[in-house]
Amino acid sequence: MVSIMRGIGLYSYMVGASIRAQLQYRYAFVMNILGWAMTYAGTAVTMWVLLYSFGALDGWIFWELIFLFALAVLSWGVCMIFFFHFRSLDQYIVNGTFDRFLVRPIHPFFHFMAMKFDVGAFGQFLFSIAAVGLAYSNLHLHWTWQWLVFLGAVIGGALIQGGLLVAISSVAFWTTRSERLYWVIMWPLKSLMNYPLSIYPRLVQLLVVFILPFAFVNYLPALILLGKTGRVFAPFWGALSPLVGAIFFALCFRFWMLGLDRYKSAGS
Amino acid sequence: MYWEFSRKSFQRSAAYRFDVWTRIAGNIMFLFMWGFIWYALYYGKETVGGVSFQAMLGYIMISQALQGIHGAGAQLWEIQERVRTGDIAMEMLRPYDYTTRMLFSDLGSIFFYFITAVLPLYTVLFLVLKPSVSLTLAQMGLFIVSAVLGFLIRFCIEMTFGLFTFWLIETGGVEDVFYFSISLFSGSLVPLWFFPGWLEQVAHYLPFQAIFFVPNSIFVGQLKGPDIFNALLGQAIWLLLCFVILRLVWHRASMKIVIQGG
Repeated sequence: MVSIMRGIGLYSYMVGASIRAQLQYRYAFVMNILGWAMTYAGTAVTMWVLLYSFGALDGWIFWELIFLFALAVLSWGVCMIFFFHFRSLDQYIVNGTFDRFLVRPIHPFFHFMAMKFDVGAFGQFLFSIAAVGLAYSNLHLHWTWQWLVFLGAVIGGALIQGGLLVAISSVAFWTTRSERLYWVIMWPLKSLMNYPLSIYPRLVQLLVVFILPFAFVNYLPALILLGKTGRVFAPFWGALSPLVGAIFFALCFRFWMLGLDRYKSAGS
Repeated sequence: MYWEFSRKSFQRSAAYRFDVWTRIAGNIMFLFMWGFIWYALYYGKETVGGVSFQAMLGYIMISQALQGIHGAGAQLWEIQERVRTGDIAMEMLRPYDYTTRMLFSDLGSIFFYFITAVLPLYTVLFLVLKPSVSLTLAQMGLFIVSAVLGFLIRFCIEMTFGLFTFWLIETGGVEDVFYFSISLFSGSLVPLWFFPGWLEQVAHYLPFQAIFFVPNSIFVGQLKGPDIFNALLGQAIWLLLCFVILRLVWHRASMKIVIQGG
């Protein structure tokens, strides 16, 4: 218990330092946030253009599609705050600077995680909260218990995406290179999930439900939250997001620790 | 002399073959994603706005292939990085023109990427998926001319945006304008004929449609007859304009570096 309290104290302290460091460059700080928000708004505009002539994509009208997209962006924002810098773990290993995380009296995973608190993620929040709000009012939703599912989807989604980031980064313990994998596995997968899962072949659907559970990030929760019926998966599956997220993250964390045990410094 | 840069960057690409494979893997995944999106949009419809699904499939396949080719060159962030770290000063000391050198380096890596990844894979994909394309020899020739013009226009614009880094410490905003324009207004994902009328007008007056939309449309036979020549003329004018702007910005940027270095 004491160690947990100490951990939280340390984490807040290091996060505070990280935020102060990022606030040193005011203009960069603001542009970073606006830049992310604009990038997502750009994708939303593309979706609008796409649906202009066609009306709906497999039964999903524009605002439903925006909701699906924004839900993924929201949990990605939460995930980014805690785990985004795991993407560049391989650079620490290659440069030999990872060793410093091993010689301090804190758990190395925790230490690396606390190293950065990415304020750029506020751009994700700016876009996704505005988009979810607009979709909510345009689709005339009235949630009661659904707010719990929504909250669960954000937490579960952050854990699922964070888990995969952690798992990808741990590949660097064996190969010293992992960032490429982010661009080959995670980036296409994330883009894929911006559109309803039902348009993809069964193999892809099974992959993102049972192996890399990205369906629990936005598609399955969106089915419940928008009151839609999935053709294959019962909507209640979406409520399982936090559970799936916790299990997946735990597995990824085990994998990371496995890699850490194998780690031999690359520095000379 | 500049061909030497092409040769070197060809060899460099050959040495980092793993990068080529991961890049083409990502490219193909996005092709499949857009294929399924368009398939779902077209489900139950023969043609939309006079365009069949088979033609649309041809459009996104050639678009994705071209995007792959464009992506093999130096990216906006690499140019920005070179300006930001000051590496560009070393380049300017050397007896060649920086932008021309970059173009020739790009040609080398693109050629490697083209013959080892894009050409074989997309040949197979076209044979297997059989999209409807209009391939008379003359049209194929015009398509190639148009694609090359599009490539040069994209190069000039990307380089110009990269050089803006000389004036800006933080390039976030500039970058986003560039990436947004190149993904939407170029017609790389959604062809301009599906745009709402007013947005199509806007896009027609921007240079970005000359990058992907014109060659893609020629490829699938949506642009025909004299329209092709008008479109090619438009591309040529855009290229000239973008080139002049690039040279102007480059000239101002080199003055800027002299001032800072003094």
